Parts: sequence; C-alpha cells; structure tokens
Amino acid sequence: MEFLGHLALGFATALSPMNLLLAFIGCLVGTLIGVLPGVGPIATIAMLMPLTLKVDPTGALIMLAGIYYGAQYGGSTTAILLNIPGEVTAVVTAIDGHEMAKKGQAGTALGIAALGSFLAGTVATLVIAAIGAPLTKLALLFGPAEYFGLMVFGLGLAIVLARGSVLKAVIMVVLGLLLATVGTDLETGQDRLTLGIAELSDGVDFAVLAMGVFGIAEILRNLEHPESRDVAVSKIGRLLPSLADPRRSLGPIVRGTGIGSVLGILPGNGAVLGPFASYALEKKLAKDPSRFGKGAIEGVAGPESANNAGAQTSFIPLLTLGIPPNAVMALMVGAMTIHGLIPGPQVMLKHPTLFWGMIASMWIGNLFLLIINLPLIGLWVRLLKVPYRLMFTTILLFCAIGIYSINNNPYDVYFTAFFGLAGYVFIKLGLEPAPMLLGFVLGRLMEEKLRQALALSEGSFMTFVERPVAAGLLVFAAAVMVIAVLPAVSRSRAKAFQE
Amino acid sequence: MKHILASLMLSLFSGIAAAQAYPTRPVTLIVPFAAGGPTDIIARITGEYYSKTLGQQFVVENVAGAGGTTGITRGAQAKPDGYTIMMGHMGTHGAAPALYANLKYDPVKDFQPIGLVAGTPILIVARKDFPAANLKEFVAKLKDPAAKVKQAHAGVGSVSFTTCTLLTSQLGVKNIVAAYRGTGPALNDLIGGQVDYMCDQIVNLVEQVKGGSIKAYAIAIPERSPALPDVPTTKEAGLPEYQVSAWNALFAPKGVPKDVAAKLSDTLVKALDDEATRKRLLELGSVIPGKAGRSPQALQKLVESEVARWTPILKSAQQQPAPQ
Amino acid sequence: MGGLAVIAVAAAAFWLVRDLPGGDGGGMGPGTLPKGLALLLGVLGLALAIGSFLERGLPLGRWSVRGPLLILGALVVFGLAVRPLGLLVAGPLAIVVGAFASSEVRWGETLVFGALMTAFCIGLFKFALGLPIPLAPWLLGY
Repeated sequence: MEFLGHLALGFATALSPMNLLLAFIGCLVGTLIGVLPGVGPIATIAMLMPLTLKVDPTGALIMLAGIYYGAQYGGSTTAILLNIPGEVTAVVTAIDGHEMAKKGQAGTALGIAALGSFLAGTVATLVIAAIGAPLTKLALLFGPAEYFGLMVFGLGLAIVLARGSVLKAVIMVVLGLLLATVGTDLETGQDRLTLGIAELSDGVDFAVLAMGVFGIAEILRNLEHPESRDVAVSKIGRLLPSLADPRRSLGPIVRGTGIGSVLGILPGNGAVLGPFASYALEKKLAKDPSRFGKGAIEGVAGPESANNAGAQTSFIPLLTLGIPPNAVMALMVGAMTIHGLIPGPQVMLKHPTLFWGMIASMWIGNLFLLIINLPLIGLWVRLLKVPYRLMFTTILLFCAIGIYSINNNPYDVYFTAFFGLAGYVFIKLGLEPAPMLLGFVLGRLMEEKLRQALALSEGSFMTFVERPVAAGLLVFAAAVMVIAVLPAVSRSRAKAFQE
Repeated sequence: MKHILASLMLSLFSGIAAAQAYPTRPVTLIVPFAAGGPTDIIARITGEYYSKTLGQQFVVENVAGAGGTTGITRGAQAKPDGYTIMMGHMGTHGAAPALYANLKYDPVKDFQPIGLVAGTPILIVARKDFPAANLKEFVAKLKDPAAKVKQAHAGVGSVSFTTCTLLTSQLGVKNIVAAYRGTGPALNDLIGGQVDYMCDQIVNLVEQVKGGSIKAYAIAIPERSPALPDVPTTKEAGLPEYQVSAWNALFAPKGVPKDVAAKLSDTLVKALDDEATRKRLLELGSVIPGKAGRSPQALQKLVESEVARWTPILKSAQQQPAPQ
Repeated sequence: MGGLAVIAVAAAAFWLVRDLPGGDGGGMGPGTLPKGLALLLGVLGLALAIGSFLERGLPLGRWSVRGPLLILGALVVFGLAVRPLGLLVAGPLAIVVGAFASSEVRWGETLVFGALMTAFCIGLFKFALGLPIPLAPWLLGY
C-alpha cells in the first residue's frame, strides 16, 4: 500500500498555500475561458500557458492541470447551454444536455455534470496513484492493429448514438469518415480532396467542424424558430438536481468512470471514445431507451464522468512514459520542457514531489471545480434569459475570435461558415451531426492505424486475425454494430407486417 | 546648399534614430509549428531574451500547418518592417522545396537571414530489445532484407522523415516504413516494440534514452552531446557520412531595413552568449553554434547548402512507391 | 431529397480522388479509403432516396435564405477583415452583419451592444490573454 505514502507526499505538496492558490486560479480561469463558445480546452491552454511561465515548475503544472479541467468543464457548460461542443468529448454531452436545457432543466444538467465529474475524478485519482505505472505497460501492448479494432468498435458506437433512423446515422458516420480523409496522405504526402486549397492540406480542424455544424447551425435554427426558443428559456426550473436524479445517475456515473479510466490510459487518444461508449452503454441499459436524445439525465451523467475520468487518466502516459497521448498533453509536455523539466520515464523517480503533487492536485482541482461551478450555474442559467437578438451576435463574435485564434488563420473562419451552412442543410434534411463528428474523429485515427498495421505486416490483412486483442476487438465491434442495427431492422419489418 | 545639407543630415539622423528606436512596439515571432514542440520552445526561449534586451515584447504566434510551410509563407509575405520575424528550420528552409510542389516561397531568395539559433542533433534510436548492440551491427541488419527492419516516422515532411530518408538513401537500403501522425504516437510504438527504429531530434528522445525505454546507437554530429555522453557519434561508430542536425534559425522577410536586420542579428549573437539562455538551450540537448556560425551570411550559406543537399535525396525517395 | 444530396456528395468526392492510386485491390494507397467511402456513401444515399419514395416521410420545412446568408456572411466578413483591419473593425462589422439576420433586431441597442462586446473581447483576448490577434493595423500598426 505504498501508494498511500505517495499520496500523502503528494497532498503535502499540493496543499501548500501557493499551490492551492495556483490550482484555484487555474480552475477558475480555465472555466471562464472554456465557457466561451468557440474556445475549447486546447485553445484555452495555449492561450493561458504564458501565464504559467512565471511560476515554478510544480506550480505551473498544477495550474495548467487546473486550466485543463476548468476548460473541459467550461466546454461542457457551453455544450449544454448553447449546443456548441468545444471539443470531441463535449459532443455527447451536448446531445442530451442541450435537450435538457431546452426543457428548462439546464441547472440539473450542469449540476449532474459537475457532480459526476467530481466523483469520476476522485476515482481516477485513486486509480492513477495505485496502479498508474503498471497500467502503462499494458497500454504499450496496443499496437496499430489493436487500435484499429478499437476504432472500428467506436464506429459501432457511433451508430448507437443516433436518435432517428439508423440509415441516416450510418450515412452521417460515413460522411464523417470521408471528411477525415481530406488533407495530405500520411504515407505519401499527396493531397487528397483538398480542392487545391492550401489551407486544407492539414485536413479539417475538429473545432471548425464542430463549431460550424453544431454552433452556427444552432444559431441559424434558433433564428428561424423564435417561438420554440422563448418557451424553453422562460421555464428556468430547478437549479439543483432533485432527489430522483442522483439516484438515476449513480449507475451511469459509476459505469462512465470505469469506461473513461480504462480508455484514457491508452496512448493515442483512446479517451475520446469514453463518453461515446458510456452513452451507448446507458442507452442499451435503460428501461426506456427512447428517452435518450430528448433529455435523459443518464445521457449526461455517464458521458461526463467518462469524460473526466479519461481526462485524468490520460495524464498517466505523460507522467510515466513522457509521451503525450493527445494534443492537450502535448502542450503540457511543451510547458514542462520550457520549465526545464523534460518528461520521460524517470520523472516519477527523479521528481517525486512533482509527480505525486500533480496527482494530488488533480483531486483538489476537481474539488475546486465543484465549488466554483455550482454557484456559477445560477449565473449561466440567468444569462440564458438575455434576449436572443442580443445574444446571438455575441455568440457569433466569440465563435469567430475563438476559431481564428486557434491557428491565426482566417481560412478557419471561412470553413466554419461553410460547415455552418452544411449543418443547416443537415437539420433541414433530418440528418444528425453527432455521428458525423464521431466518424470524423475516428476516421483519421482509424485510417492511420489501418495503414500502419498493414505497413508493418507488409500488406497482410491476416495481422488482424493473428493478434488476439485486435481480433477480439473487431469481433466485439461487429457485435455492437449488429445490436445497433437489429432493432431498426425488426422495427421496419414490424411496420411492413402491419401494412 | 545649406538646406540640402541640413535635410540630408536630418534624414541620416532620423534613419539612425529609427534604428536606435526599433522596436517601438511588440514584434511578432511566427513559429510555424504547434506550441510545445522543440522549435516552439527554442523560439520562446530566444524571444524572451529579445523581449528583455530590446524592451518590447516579442510575441510568439503559432501558425502551424503543412510541415511548417504555412507559417513561413505568412512570414515571407509580411511587411518587411522588422515587426514580423519567423523561426524557420531544416524542414521549412531546407527540405521544403523538395517536398512541396506548390511551395509559395524560395528559402534562398525570399528571406533576410538573421542568424542560426540552435540545432537539435539527430539520434538513431531503436527499440530496447532490437538485436544489434551497436551501430555497425544495426547497419548490417538494415542491409539484410531478411531482417525486415521497420522504421517509424512522424509524417511526410517531418524531421524524422527527412533524416531517416537520408540515412536509408546513404546506405542504399529500403525498409518497411510506417507513417505516424506526430512524434508522440511514433515514439509510443517504438517503446512498445511495434516498430524497430527512428531517427529524431534529441529533444524528443533524451529522457527516453536515459530512462532505458529505447536505446540510442549514435548521434549524428561531430562531437558527443553533453546531454547523452554515452552515445557515440556516427563518426566514432563507423558511419561518418551521416551528419545531420535539425537546425533552427531566425529569418525576416526580404527587404527589411539593414539597420533593423543588423540589430536583430547582433542581439541574437548576444543571446547565444547569455548564461541563462545558453543553459536552457543546452538542457534541451540542443547545440549552440559557435561564433563563426552566427552571422547572417553563414546562415544564408547554410540554407543554400541544405536545399542543395535535400532536394536530390527527397525527390528520389518520393519516386519510389512505399514498399507494400 | 436527402438521398439525392447524399449521392451528389458521394459522386463529387469520388471524382476528386479518381487520380489517386489504390483501390485496385493491390494494396492500400492514398485513394483507397476515400474511393471506398465515396462508393459506400453513394449506395447509402441511394437507399435513402428509395426509402423516402416508399414511405411517407416528414415534409421538408421551409428554407430561409436571409438568416444563413447573413450569419455566414458575418463570419466571412470577420475572416476577411481581421488581418488587414483588426479586431477593432472586424468585431463590430461582424456583429452588424449578423444582426441583419434577425428581424427582431433594434438598431440602437445592437450598435451599443456591438461596441461594448467588441471592447470586452479586445480587453479579454488582446490584453488579458495576450493573443496575437491584430487590433487595428491601419491605425496602430498592430
């Protein structure tokens, strides 16, 4: 049980007044910036990183971690209130969270998200402390073939996400996959689908896509239907969850935490799948799956917990191996290096105060998030009452600035407009954006892993069968897809029989 | 006559005064890569010194994309008034012409070189269980087609791609090559043993080598690096022709006033002598150029020689289809 | 209707990648996945189109032009203006163009609000966070 000793050391470090203050500031600032539509965690951290340069390394990392969680929660807030997900993991929250907000249950949604995240964070912290290091060895077993299996599994989940027709969901997923191929090819460097536009040669940016298809399209939709908008806003409803809600949410929170923790450890952004997997699981387990997509609280509690658990466990590969599993962690690496702390396998041994201090402060950060955000919920909900005719231009401006600031490239703003149009068309045609976004994210990873697996096996597809984990995942994926499609097939057959 | 003289003196002084005055407002330092990478860190360290010494903020603006060429294109087209400068490196100003058919700038002609900042030496590293104890054995394995050695790189256009291509073309071998999106995933699979070797900047690898999760065969510069004193140089280990360092340098768009350029170059020379700056650069494992290498002329010569070096190698590598 | 749109997209994508190698079964090349996906998309789009003929689906809602045009226009305007003219101009410009999109807009309050919001954004993004967004290059040079 030596990890308790480590944790004690960690807490001693993290509870120093300076570090506490830094954690608090980090969480606060991260939340406030993360709430801005158009500004997701990556943008937030990049923006605020210079602030951390003034402090000592441990403090800087603690502050950065606080900013990260704050930004993530801020992003969830925007997803729930405005249907604008700031990053991949917020997409799922937006689905049911925003529906809840439209029903006047914004406060409940936000509250459950905060509570779920906190509980998940607590568990994740314990996980990291106790079995973090050995877990990474496990993660190393995942090669390209296994990842491919995981991604295909994720695709199956995407279909389950659908609210309406399965066929339309599959179409959207495929569309997302297609969009993911835009850009220079990984192996040969040739441009694909870039229409000769240089700015597209790195592919479509997720933030741009999400902002356009969700956010801008949402603005357009709201402008068209002023009636539905006002009704929702006037029913503010409860600010805190009622008694029934926590009970219903406990299961999802626990399950979400488990899923998120496991997936977060996988280097290569496995954490992305966490919320989606949790959503799919909850939808299958629920007694009345049709509630999902219309504001089921389980659809917020589970994914948010998975989200936070994944965010924390994704620090593990960074701290134990020195390899960042995703773009946010890559920024952390940069921050550490600027402070002279080059991350690597020896960080745990050479800088135990840093390592354990960070882990302990993760939990403290979660606590702060809860403390900061619960009162803020009231503020946000009141903000919703601002007349829309004033709000939407503000949202628009923030989106524009946020998107521009990602890469200081006006083309990103143009693309957002284009995707906004696309999103509007989708709404009109009854096609949902969420599966497309998942397809997009998975698509890039999937193709990369597929090509790598095949390159390493010299073109042999047998590699997927020979490697047990990969084969297992693929079978699992097939099962998921069948389960997803089956109800739709039987439904349409039932209809056919009725006629 | 007196008036002409007076106005001449006036313009002369105001010219000097302008130079003395530069900079009068913040300067943008374009870094053509995402925040947190080696080039970005070196740029920020350098930028800090400039800010402190010249009294105006040197603000880093990350404009990532297309292997760095997006940011450099932006910098090349900026107004040449000294308020926009950029950090280029071996990829953007050496390999780019060979890799990008529609490159919108010419590394040799479109820039005013300010000076070399730091180079990050390249290491040849392999997974820790690879059956070769030193560089000679490793090369033997590379040349043996039955060994099926697998190389990883961080994407076409990345440093790891260009430098490993140099190695394989010098040795005349063809390996199995797996492309990754970035150094992180590639390194991850190297540690996990999914691939066999990589060639990358020391900054990304030093801690892994020290920690023992991967092993280094050689470093491709003339002298051993203080960051990894146990790793032999390619010269010592038997492959002296493989010399490559991912150099980073500051450029300004062509046409910057001479005195502004001179001021920037002089400050850079001083930065590289400054205790604190040197310490941070050396900690990364980077190599600081000696006095002779710091002048703008030296940089221009380097750019020309690099373009000449990389173009034939990369063009011929691209014509070979990826082995399947 | 939706099905036809989908088929159109699929066809366009396929046409764009037709030059890329791969997709012949000889191994994966850069063109394999896009071609395969485009094909799949086309098939699915066909299924959707057929399905909508057989069943009675929901009718398409009205499509408005003004809203999308102006909101998207506002974004484009911002993108065009932000580098040469800076936030000072691009911000209010975007807000004003966007405001046209709603018929409920009252001019007085929009202009005031626009100015306020731009000022707030400038304060936040430029000064508090130090982002390299051009403020007013024509005026201040940065």
